Amino acid sequence: MGPDDATKRDDRGDPAPPDQPAPAVEHDRDRGEGELERTIGLVGGLAIGIGTMIGAGIFVFPGLAAESAGPAASLSFAIGAVVALLVALPLSELATAMPRSGGGYFFISRGLGTGPGAVIGIGLWLGLVFASAFYLVGLGSYAGQVFAEAGISLPVDPAVPLGVAFGVALTVLSVFGTENTASLQNAIVIVLLVILTLFLSYGSLDALGVFGTESTPERFLPPGGMVPVLRTAALVFTSYLGFAQVATVAGDITDPSRNLPLAMVGSVLVVGAFYVVTIFVATSAFGSARLGGFGETAMVEVARAFVGLPGALAIVVAGLLATFSSANASILSASRAVYAVSRDDLLPTSASRLNLRYGTPHVALGMAGGPIVVLAATGQVELLAEVASVLHLVMYGLVCVALIQLRRESPEWYTPSFRCPAGFLVAGLGTLASLSLIAFMQPASIGVGAAVMVAAYAWYRYYATDVELKGAF
Amino acid sequence: MTDTDPTTPTDAPTDTAADAPTDTAADAPTDTATEADGDPSIDRPDRPTVLYPIRVLEGESLPTGIAELLANAHVVLAGYHVIPEQTAADQAREQFGERAMAKLEEFAAALSDAGATVDVRLVFTHEAQATINRLIYEHDCLAVLVPNGVDVPESVLLAVRGDVGLDRNTRLVAGLFATTDATITLYHALDGDEPDAEGESLLETTTAALVDRGVSPEAIETILDRPDAPIEAIAGHAADHDAVVMGETDPSVTTFVFGMPSEQVAERFLGPVFVVQRERPGEGQAGDDEPGEE
Repeated sequence: MGPDDATKRDDRGDPAPPDQPAPAVEHDRDRGEGELERTIGLVGGLAIGIGTMIGAGIFVFPGLAAESAGPAASLSFAIGAVVALLVALPLSELATAMPRSGGGYFFISRGLGTGPGAVIGIGLWLGLVFASAFYLVGLGSYAGQVFAEAGISLPVDPAVPLGVAFGVALTVLSVFGTENTASLQNAIVIVLLVILTLFLSYGSLDALGVFGTESTPERFLPPGGMVPVLRTAALVFTSYLGFAQVATVAGDITDPSRNLPLAMVGSVLVVGAFYVVTIFVATSAFGSARLGGFGETAMVEVARAFVGLPGALAIVVAGLLATFSSANASILSASRAVYAVSRDDLLPTSASRLNLRYGTPHVALGMAGGPIVVLAATGQVELLAEVASVLHLVMYGLVCVALIQLRRESPEWYTPSFRCPAGFLVAGLGTLASLSLIAFMQPASIGVGAAVMVAAYAWYRYYATDVELKGAF
Repeated sequence: MTDTDPTTPTDAPTDTAADAPTDTAADAPTDTATEADGDPSIDRPDRPTVLYPIRVLEGESLPTGIAELLANAHVVLAGYHVIPEQTAADQAREQFGERAMAKLEEFAAALSDAGATVDVRLVFTHEAQATINRLIYEHDCLAVLVPNGVDVPESVLLAVRGDVGLDRNTRLVAGLFATTDATITLYHALDGDEPDAEGESLLETTTAALVDRGVSPEAIETILDRPDAPIEAIAGHAADHDAVVMGETDPSVTTFVFGMPSEQVAERFLGPVFVVQRERPGEGQAGDDEPGEE
């Protein structure tokens, strides 16, 4: 809690006493209703971002990505990181100006109005539902790998049934579990980073021929040049969705003008670096075609090739932890999205009700968990990932537009404590990059994403035309 | 935090008390009632600030006699509600805020009817300890109350550990009880090789300090002994009294308000315990204490 905290205290609405400058209130004070404690520091913020993201990029995608883009899949991951960074900076500015749960939805509805807000709010909820389902299938694959390592052969591929089972378990746990999970999340992220760092250092040295046999370098770019690389970038962009989760807890973060941008940008840089190195190591260990054949758990085979069974087991454990933490974080985020939308009367208010006994939003969690389980049952990894990305990328694009809009209008309440450097340029590029990436998705994914958004808009026209959110802050 | 506020120098606690009503006048209607009784800094510049944490939505209510016990204090009534990680804090506030605030105002009214001045704070938090620590710091509280029921407070046990907390201990005890009929018993548990004379002189200094602050010398008694287990000894002596005042333990960066010893005493004693807080560190150290980064 540094001295500059005083500048960003949130004391909306009430005029300052005449005898002193605007009172500095660090903790969100709502007169008559109490204040909110900020309890998440920089480390906690980074853990949320990294913990949400790292599950997919390393433990689900390497096989799939290498199959379509070869070694240049690392370039695809790097492109994803750049897009994420272009969005993370404007998002940080908006989050320090409007530290409310709801993240991107909140900024768009306040900056651009109810219509776009409704589409994005409902889209964000369902986007997170798709993302969670995708992580759950990944989690199921790793859980299935446990049976494989134990030498138990199952008659069917256990990934989907196990994913569904985890989905149900996580939903139930989040409704009834009153233990605070933040410290667990931090521990998981630290364990993961340690395992990955050891593994990737060993792998990189091996790939560069420091020891072991030097592997024959493959042609970097796949046949077809940049198009497959960009297509892969679109596919794997799901690996970066977590950074925006930091913005959804902006109200809980201490010293937000410093910690929010650092946590968002920092987590993108950390996971981006890990992703790029992982693909490099993985494609050096096996040819990309063979890697693709291993599917979601390709990294287990890479580890086995380097250090045998112990390596494989370490990666299975890490994969379980990472996909578990991503799935869990996304279910919670989805329920927060439901809350944010229903608070604004775009969904019935009963959706955001808490039960007093457990203090958890059981309706919202059910509205997240239910569809997640259904989608996980489809087992369509790539489709789930891409639809999640489409819905998020539209939001990211509009977040950047909202930044430009708010800076131009500069309403009285818009006083961000962090300002995005070169704001208009970064936000302009962010919009362009986000929307362009969508163009490289499979038509089916774009279709499903568009259908979700049309349905969301139709719901808004039917249910909530009289809600006015623009500037309501 | 408060120290960035130009109206609140940290080293002058009475100023904090004076500032507090301005701080919260608009916060809660209760303060209107409080202000009608007069600004605490005007009528009683030496009112010790006591933090009274209360889990307001879990049916916790004011134990009997607690309002009388705090009649001479400036009470920071800190209602808090711990919400699980998976719930957004503002979501909980939206649903429970008004109800909790109404409850708190009821308690605040009871306290100010008995004579206390009251600041009401209501916090929705994921970490109760972080909240309590912050409020102690922001209001520069002299002590934290572990509330338990009490009859009319007739005798108070002050556990004296050394010279370190002497000033704050005596400020609290004199501020709360100098104008009441309560007797004050000073108790010091001698360490293994601590000479009797040292303990006696400590009790004498403390007595003198209390008398300086307006406590009648007749109201003060002293006990000196050499127990095997000091905490149990305090709890044992406490049984003969209505309230206990003791210091914080373990001067570490992280402050555990209900740290083991005071907690143990409170549990066995079943009466109210005032835990006198150490002088808050300067701003730099306060930054290290940032919750959530551990």
